[in-house]
Amino acid sequence: MNANAVVSVRDLHKTYGKAGEKQYEALKGIDFDVQPGEFVGIMGASGSGKSTLLNILATLDQPTSGKVTIDQQDVTTLKGNQIADFRAKKVGFIFQDFNLLENLTNYENIALPLSLQNMASSKIKMAVDAVASQLSIAETLPKYPTEISGGQKQRVAAARALVAQPTILFGDEPTGALDSNSARDLLEMLTSVNHEQRVPVLLVTHDPFSASYCQRILFIKDGKIGQTLHREGRTQQAFYQEILDALGTFN
Amino acid sequence: MLNKLAFAGIKSRLKDYVVLFSGLVMSSAIFYMFEALATNQSFIKNNTSVSGASFIFQLGAVLLTIITLVYIFYANSFLMSMRRHDYGMFMMLGAKQRKIGQLILLETVVIGVIASVIGILVGWLLTGTLGNFMMSVVIGSRLKHFSAFYLPAVVTTVGLYLGLFLIAGVVNWLSLTKTQVLQLLKGDQQPNRPVLKPVLQVVQVIGGLILLAVGYYCMAHVQTIGLFAILIALVTIVSGTYFLFNAIFIWLVLLLKRTSWATKGLNTFTLSQLQFRIRNYTKMLSVVSILFALALGAITVGIGFHRQIDLMANVNSPYTMAIPDATTVTQKRVDQLKLATKATYQQKETKTTVYYNAAELKTTPLQRVTTTLAELQKQHRSNVTVHYGTMSTTQLQKNPVDLELLQSGAQQTKIAKVVSAAQFARIKGTAHKLLVFRVANLKADQQALKTIQKGENLAAGTVLPGGYGMLVLSTAIYGGLEFMGLFLGIAFLAMLASCLMFKILSGASSDKQRYNMLNKLGTRGGILRRSINREVGVLFTLPGIVGVIHVLFGLQLFKLLMINPYDQIWIPFTIFILLYIIYYVITVRLYERIVLPEIQINN
Ligand SMILES: Nc1ncnc2c1ncn2[C@@H]1O[C@H](COP(=O)(O)OP(=O)(O)OP(=O)(O)O)[C@@H](O)[C@H]1O
Ligand SMILES: [Mg+2]
Repeated sequence: MNANAVVSVRDLHKTYGKAGEKQYEALKGIDFDVQPGEFVGIMGASGSGKSTLLNILATLDQPTSGKVTIDQQDVTTLKGNQIADFRAKKVGFIFQDFNLLENLTNYENIALPLSLQNMASSKIKMAVDAVASQLSIAETLPKYPTEISGGQKQRVAAARALVAQPTILFGDEPTGALDSNSARDLLEMLTSVNHEQRVPVLLVTHDPFSASYCQRILFIKDGKIGQTLHREGRTQQAFYQEILDALGTFN
Repeated sequence: MLNKLAFAGIKSRLKDYVVLFSGLVMSSAIFYMFEALATNQSFIKNNTSVSGASFIFQLGAVLLTIITLVYIFYANSFLMSMRRHDYGMFMMLGAKQRKIGQLILLETVVIGVIASVIGILVGWLLTGTLGNFMMSVVIGSRLKHFSAFYLPAVVTTVGLYLGLFLIAGVVNWLSLTKTQVLQLLKGDQQPNRPVLKPVLQVVQVIGGLILLAVGYYCMAHVQTIGLFAILIALVTIVSGTYFLFNAIFIWLVLLLKRTSWATKGLNTFTLSQLQFRIRNYTKMLSVVSILFALALGAITVGIGFHRQIDLMANVNSPYTMAIPDATTVTQKRVDQLKLATKATYQQKETKTTVYYNAAELKTTPLQRVTTTLAELQKQHRSNVTVHYGTMSTTQLQKNPVDLELLQSGAQQTKIAKVVSAAQFARIKGTAHKLLVFRVANLKADQQALKTIQKGENLAAGTVLPGGYGMLVLSTAIYGGLEFMGLFLGIAFLAMLASCLMFKILSGASSDKQRYNMLNKLGTRGGILRRSINREVGVLFTLPGIVGVIHVLFGLQLFKLLMINPYDQIWIPFTIFILLYIIYYVITVRLYERIVLPEIQINN
């Protein structure tokens, strides 16, 4: 175990279904750490438990047993408002289906996490403008989510996830609904944020190309980590090739 | 196959259908109940003796029909909001539009038929129990000529509901087949981006105010304009309210959004929720404010009529009773009462005239009520204080009407004359003694007075002159009106409640996703709940305020029937607002149950 780890997961189990009903064990003992500033990918076949794992890390779901520490805090013991505050302050989450509120403008969507912290409106404006120009979506701010493209929506969602300067950023197939160009844009943006702000990123993905942006990739099979790949100074192209090979043998 | 799919859709939304059905059943039950009570000719003839009452009952029936119309419109839009997505899906899967059209028509009509049939059964039950009970409490005796089952009412109820649902079904059919599949699937996800058009807005505000003013003026001057005024008022007030809401509501929301208050917590979200469906809401708010006014007004007037009974009894005559030739039994009974005043006057009765002895009237002067109507109208206490003075013999000689009012039986049509003692002795006529008295508290001695009146063996339907007789008569007259007021008030309140409920529940399915997202973003449960409280609170408060204003003006209408319709107005207002608040709390709880996710999501 590393004392500096931003995220540390120990012997994590998750069983769906109540005792007595039909049960399904989605996670069967997962262990790993994420170091500050790391960009980690999670891959695996459909139904292998990737989303389950990410949801538990982001406090959207609770494990059956095991320990998850984020920023030195055991998140599995949080209750009620603590959970809400933890999500608001520590976690940034980008969903596959954007999860934007379509009755708020993009500006209001991005500002929401800051409003929830009752920040002064002038400060909110500064923060939103900054993150919007970083993600080059400044001109979409006054529009509504229904009035922009999927790629732009995902950038807005990313901006919302980043605006409160979270301890860690999670993405559950954020490129899943995007075309390859938009996907590339988003990944490059995530990489630069990861580099510049040293925010660790944990990315679930199916797509080997998306995965090639990561420094390390965890392959999940049948609820366990089956294999780990490290980029370690290789070019993205070489890493991409290695991921493809790994997927071939892994599945 | 498609039928199976459609049925599966219904099954999956059983809870929503239960809400829809209970609302519709309640509405048709109320409608039946009113029809059974208000249009039952034999019953009306036997229980009310005012010509105006029949008109008021008819007006009530018209109002209830209008409300039912609006109500079904909302219920139907709730139904459509539930089914849009399903039908869109069927079309995506390749179902023919014609088939879908038939399906929605069938579904709408079947729902209408089932709801109205169950509603009539429930209404029948309610009429027999609750209706009868309410009537008897208000009128003071069990009803005669009354049966809870009344065929014309059944026919009207079925006819109205079937007709309305047929229309609703056809409208649904047309709107569904004209809408693009994509729109059906997306529903009301399209934002409604309201823009401020200051000129239009100002025009709307002014127009709305003018319309309202016309309406209020009409109501205050029904006496001069005639009953047509009520119709004008109805139209102008409804449209005026709509324009005002339309202009002010949008403006208010947009203005609030620009303040720094809006950026705190979920305030932006709450405002956007309101803004998002702003047009639907303004329509609904105007309807609700009218319903609110009708409900509150009806209850106020109902309770007002009750007070009217007391007022009439107290101010009508200086004496509680005037008994001709009281027997010793009666006299004993009278002496047992707590009397404020008592006197006996000699009479000599001829064919045309009843003579009184001036000397006697000088030693024990006749009393009169000195409190004027205007003074009475200013009194706002639960027990009115009425002042009494005396009449001089010269006054009575000039105008003996006060004496004539005390004459009953055969004397009722004869004129009264006050003559000197000498003249009185000379007159040949049958000698009588008139016993007059006033009790200190009419209410307290009501039972004893009833016994006294019974002992006098009066002709059926007649009463002894005086306050007690007035009490009996006005209870019969105003009791019916009070019942109407209370009944309509409760009926309108129930409809109002369901209208708001349908409106709010129509949006619940899309709201559910929103609250789920907010939860995932880390919004505290308390903050989510506060947002809901505020949103629903606005939807309740705005029409409430406007409704109260409507009522305050609308009561002018009842100056025709009541001494002071504004008297003790706080009682019905308090009762009503309490009920309204309880209803608000229930709605919020219901809504929260639907839309609020667990803080822990298992997805
Ligand atoms: N709420 C639930 N109740 C019961 N079983 C569930 C639930 N959610 C997920 N599962 C099961 O747990 C397993 C893992 O699901 P999970 O969503 O984590 O897969 P995934 O790796 O994200 O798949 P995909 O790549 O398709 O998104 C699956 O077999 C799924 O059927
Ligand atoms: Mg998944």
